[in-house]
Amino acid sequence: MAKHLLITTSNDLVRIAPDRIVYLSSDGNYSTLVQADGEMRMLSYQLGQIEKLIASQLGAEGKYFIRIGKSLIINRSYIYYINVPKQKLVLSDTASFSLTVTASREALKQLKELLEKEIQ
Amino acid sequence: MTHPETDIQDDEIRVIGHEDRATPEAAFGLRPSRRVWGWVAAIVAAVAAALLGWAMWGGVRAVDEAAHEGEEIGYFEPEAGGGAVDTVRRACEPLGREVDSLAAGFIEVRDTTVNDIPLRICIPHNAELTLHVGPVDRRDPGILYAAQAADIRRDNRKIVGAFVLRGEPLAWGLSKKGYCAVVDGRITIGVADNSPLFEQATERGGYFFRQYPLVSDGRLVENEPKNKSIRRALCDRQGEIMMVDCSTPESFHDFAQALVDLGVVNAIYLVGSTSYGWWVGEEGERQEFGVERSPIPKNTSYIVWRRR
Repeated sequence: MAKHLLITTSNDLVRIAPDRIVYLSSDGNYSTLVQADGEMRMLSYQLGQIEKLIASQLGAEGKYFIRIGKSLIINRSYIYYINVPKQKLVLSDTASFSLTVTASREALKQLKELLEKEIQ
Repeated sequence: MTHPETDIQDDEIRVIGHEDRATPEAAFGLRPSRRVWGWVAAIVAAVAAALLGWAMWGGVRAVDEAAHEGEEIGYFEPEAGGGAVDTVRRACEPLGREVDSLAAGFIEVRDTTVNDIPLRICIPHNAELTLHVGPVDRRDPGILYAAQAADIRRDNRKIVGAFVLRGEPLAWGLSKKGYCAVVDGRITIGVADNSPLFEQATERGGYFFRQYPLVSDGRLVENEPKNKSIRRALCDRQGEIMMVDCSTPESFHDFAQALVDLGVVNAIYLVGSTSYGWWVGEEGERQEFGVERSPIPKNTSYIVWRRR
């Protein structure tokens, strides 16, 4: 069975398949999980702590997630469009959702180069 | 101990689960065993090379070179960071890079996001700040940066707030408490009902204007307008003067908070929205922003950075 990411607090638990996560964004001491079904869930963890959870729980599958700057973790499977000058990154499954996030130009440039190198 | 929240900058990306920066190798996720053997091979090769070098050049010389290894950075063409634009560093470090004082003036531009707000940071190098009233000559090669400064009143088109142009007072209002003064080349950005810098600017041929205060002594200043718009600010960040604007419509509050989080100590607003201006980069490239309108009210004022 595919691995799931498990995020627990003293009161609740979130268990989600990695491919259902579109991105996670930082909101101060909290993070917001945006799911492929459109649901958004506030998590009482800082983004850095979520990053650690992904790395420790998902192992090799963790590489599907990319930290972009201080405020964003994205699922690379959903990268659909990058516009560096406009600092625009569109995450989409090209069927049911399309979500736009922003990041610095330099970070998006690096992301673009990373994806370009991968197909070479 | 590393802190994942802080050991990545807004201009960096990282494939999770790999310690290296985003590289093709990291992206493809080399198997751990292969990586370990790769490291062992690299270390063995490095040791062998070091021993060979020691034998060829002599131990004393090798020790001497090793002691000075950290100094082998070119003075005129440093290779820091491979040219990457590392935008937001720790709050105490300058955002702009060091530039030879004899180099031609230019505007260094950095992009970052703070609290999900995309920010463009314009840092003048070898330039001096002046004010200008009326249309700015776009063909003037001495101008490195121009952006609207004080607001004008809708009813009589007079400048809002006290304003001094090359020692000549043009307006005396106090409706906005933020101010910027340029006296004897020294730039002061602050918040005050009355500032002696107004008189000093008048006496010494300086400049002075008022705008909304955004940040004072590192703290956010609340303002009455609550609408969202493209915002622009003149900022003092630990003595480093810069102009910061956002490319998405933001409230005064969110924009000012982003400036605080950027490490700005004092900041006042500059006319934002679609107001027109431009900057000139290091290669002489000219980038415009906003919408150029003609004619413009004769009291439209600008901050103008000129080449020294």
